Amino acid sequence: MSLPIKSLALACGLAAFVIALQPFVAAADEDDWVGLKQQVFGDRPISAEDGVVVLDAPYTADDPSLVPITVRVPPEIKQKLKTLTLFIDKNPDPIVAKISFGPAQGTGGERSFSTRVRIDNFSHVRAVLETEDGQLHMATKFVAASGGCGAMQAKDPDTESVDLGKTLVKVFPPALESGPIWSGQVMIKHPNSNGMQLDIHTANVIPARFVKDVVVKRDGELVFQMASTFSISTNPNFRFTFGRGPNNSLDVAVTDTDGAVFAAKSEPSGS
Amino acid sequence: MCGRQLITRQDFLKAALTLAAAPLLRALPARADDAAEATEIAPGVFVHQGRYELQSPDNRGDMANASFVVGNDGVAVIDTLGSAVAGAELLAAVRAATNKPIRYVINTHMHPDHVFGNAAFKGDAPTFVGHHKLARGLATRGERYLAINKEMLGAAAFEGIEIILPTVQVADKVTLDLGGRELVLEPQRTAHTDNDLTITDTATGTLFLGDLLFSVHVPTLDGSITGWLALIEELKSRQAARVVPGHGPHAMEMPGALEPEERYLASIAGDVRRLIKEGKTLEDAIKTAGFSERDAWKLFDHYHVRNVSAAFAELEWE
Repeated sequence: MSLPIKSLALACGLAAFVIALQPFVAAADEDDWVGLKQQVFGDRPISAEDGVVVLDAPYTADDPSLVPITVRVPPEIKQKLKTLTLFIDKNPDPIVAKISFGPAQGTGGERSFSTRVRIDNFSHVRAVLETEDGQLHMATKFVAASGGCGAMQAKDPDTESVDLGKTLVKVFPPALESGPIWSGQVMIKHPNSNGMQLDIHTANVIPARFVKDVVVKRDGELVFQMASTFSISTNPNFRFTFGRGPNNSLDVAVTDTDGAVFAAKSEPSGS
Repeated sequence: MCGRQLITRQDFLKAALTLAAAPLLRALPARADDAAEATEIAPGVFVHQGRYELQSPDNRGDMANASFVVGNDGVAVIDTLGSAVAGAELLAAVRAATNKPIRYVINTHMHPDHVFGNAAFKGDAPTFVGHHKLARGLATRGERYLAINKEMLGAAAFEGIEIILPTVQVADKVTLDLGGRELVLEPQRTAHTDNDLTITDTATGTLFLGDLLFSVHVPTLDGSITGWLALIEELKSRQAARVVPGHGPHAMEMPGALEPEERYLASIAGDVRRLIKEGKTLEDAIKTAGFSERDAWKLFDHYHVRNVSAAFAELEWE
């Protein structure tokens, strides 16, 4: 987990030369993926860029500790979804999150999942989607960002732990409320600290503490369960779709690596 | 101004001779053509205006304002530019103005373009002064600041930079006596950063705002947009003969000086709040929020999207 200072420094500095060096960096990145793919999916074939899953990520990240990414499954894909795994090849822990979808995931429109991540180095970001038939589909984007992990810090650390665990849940009905796909959002006030920062008062590394498990249910039925890592930005934020239900009420349970549990539910919709 | 001159063989020999003859003298001599430009905006108050640029080998990190105040007993330097090389040019400007000892080096906040010249003043053994949260902020970001600046400044301008943290950490209003004039230092709540310090020279009524005031150069948000807007409201009621911005002209008049910056920040806050209310995302916001301000500022394309991201991440919790 220790971060090679030299390569971090190099990566940060390279920001100015991203365009010139991208082919070189991208080539090196492919090598990481070979081992990573083997570790997570073994010998299973993965169909790349086949249109089943689409990944939106900025080519250059203005703030490497807050990079918005969105995974979309176009409306013409009707299958149910089993899992979605997000990777950032070059991060200290390249597996960002693994999401398992439940019966309330919904079909009949575009499905999506968005979050904000830290990117520690110029890296490929990958979304690997497993559909109900067991097939794996992958979308990849290269993002030029660096220093999002080691350099991650709160703008105002004194307010960072205020309200730790405060969780907000929002529901966004579609333009037509009879539409089958609704959106929800979960926001968790949490430093998601990654164990890479120094506390200058003690000269010790601030211990890692991050959100590791999120369960979202609609009217008691599972929308998704997510296992996550510190590659998710401070104050983890998820935007996702779900299938319309009787009340469209969302329940969220969050567990962090200290074992703290936070729970929240959405305001009743349409009231 | 402060352009680098080609070193002739004669210069080189002169410098070598000086160094050989007087090894205890400063390595960077205060030759007039090496001195940073500095304008006396009020009696004993000198301001150097930095360029509206990102750091580069050409500007050597000279892209923020830096000032010094001369009292009967000594000098206080306020910010030191973005490299030891630029800091040495600022030191040369001080020496061109006075031979009094440099008692204090005050940093208005932690950003490299205001603190990386500190090393140039070490030989004068001043007391380094900053907001009580500056040390934490700079120490946790230091490694990254050094790496970025090494690349952007190039080896020559990066030479000699070191992180020097304040030994006097200001948690409450404090007064420094320079002899015949006092500087009043006030730590502010989180605004541009979480460690902004303002300085008032009592003799001339000059208020140094550091990067709480940007003019021409687009503001950069590394603290709290709501905190900054609230602080601007408070600062507007201050009586000051003149204010010195962290980026902008040598001196400006209150309260008008703060108005463009307030308009910029309010524009972002207003647009972002509306988008959040409409259920829009961070990605939506960085494409539209605050773009009505685009033509009003230099370096807008370098910093604006980041400002909007930071504002969004803050305001979505309201």
